[in-house]
Amino acid sequence: MKFKSPPMPSAEMDMTPMMDLTFQLISFFMMVTNFDQTQVDERVRLPTDTLAKPPEMKVEHELVVNIGFKRDKDGSRIDPLPFVFLPGEELRVPEFKQRLMQEARIYQAKSIKLTDVTVVVRADADVPTGQVQEFIKLSQDAKFEKFALRAQQPTP
Amino acid sequence: MKIKQQEPASLQQQTTPMIDVTFQLLTFFMFTLKIVGPEGDFNINMPPPGAGAAKSEVLPDIKVRLVAAADGGLASLRLGERQLGNGPGAFQTLNNEILKLIGRENSARSKEIEVEIDADYQLNFDFVVKAIGACTGRLSPDGKTIIRYVEKIKFAPPKSNPEA
Repeated sequence: MKFKSPPMPSAEMDMTPMMDLTFQLISFFMMVTNFDQTQVDERVRLPTDTLAKPPEMKVEHELVVNIGFKRDKDGSRIDPLPFVFLPGEELRVPEFKQRLMQEARIYQAKSIKLTDVTVVVRADADVPTGQVQEFIKLSQDAKFEKFALRAQQPTP
Repeated sequence: MKIKQQEPASLQQQTTPMIDVTFQLLTFFMFTLKIVGPEGDFNINMPPPGAGAAKSEVLPDIKVRLVAAADGGLASLRLGERQLGNGPGAFQTLNNEILKLIGRENSARSKEIEVEIDADYQLNFDFVVKAIGACTGRLSPDGKTIIRYVEKIKFAPPKSNPEA
């Protein structure tokens, strides 16, 4: 007599719940990722103020500049003078003048008036005010006129 | 003759490439995510020197002076000639005094009057932002809107670096 062997149970794992979860995670990360904040440098510890609320209307043309200190793992300053942080590069505040001139030329080449560009200063809370003012002076020399000082809301 | 029926081909789709791409996307978003708290801006008036900004003839500028200690801390906060101290209460006092000067919140004076922040070179930027915040206004009781005291804020000409 010939016995019919029962079909082998499938060894394939059911991927559906994992895929559901993965898509939910992707959706979450897509929602919370803000590509506007790509110019934000985490090394800058912004000053805090309760009035530092995100603006209701987005500024059309803004030039974000991060000024902060190089710090070690404990948060102590490695260098007493602040740097302007650029992607993969750090410059002293006076050295940034050429870059500002370059940025001004780029805006002008795009037919954007420099009076319509807001220079957003993301300066570390511990940066000497004189350095921030020096930076503003350099920006004025490059014909920028509108400035905004960025701050963070205090964490509860 | 008995014809043996062929087993139907599996209708299940190959999901491995989709899973690969999905995990790559997930990894990308996880690594590019920056957790940043809400940030806001304080606008300041800094026309180029000699531009001759329109100035109110009737209302003089409110001068806020911040004197730095040797370590960059705040040694004293002054409104005009009046000492407001250097503790945490100094900025609240400044906020109250500014309100007294403009009369009432969101008044016509608040649009005209200008505050000049005069800070020492070495003073930590944190204190300047606190002074600007105190001059700008306060939050409404519900914490959602800003009740403005002064709209025009500018810096005094920069001081020279004492260490230079």
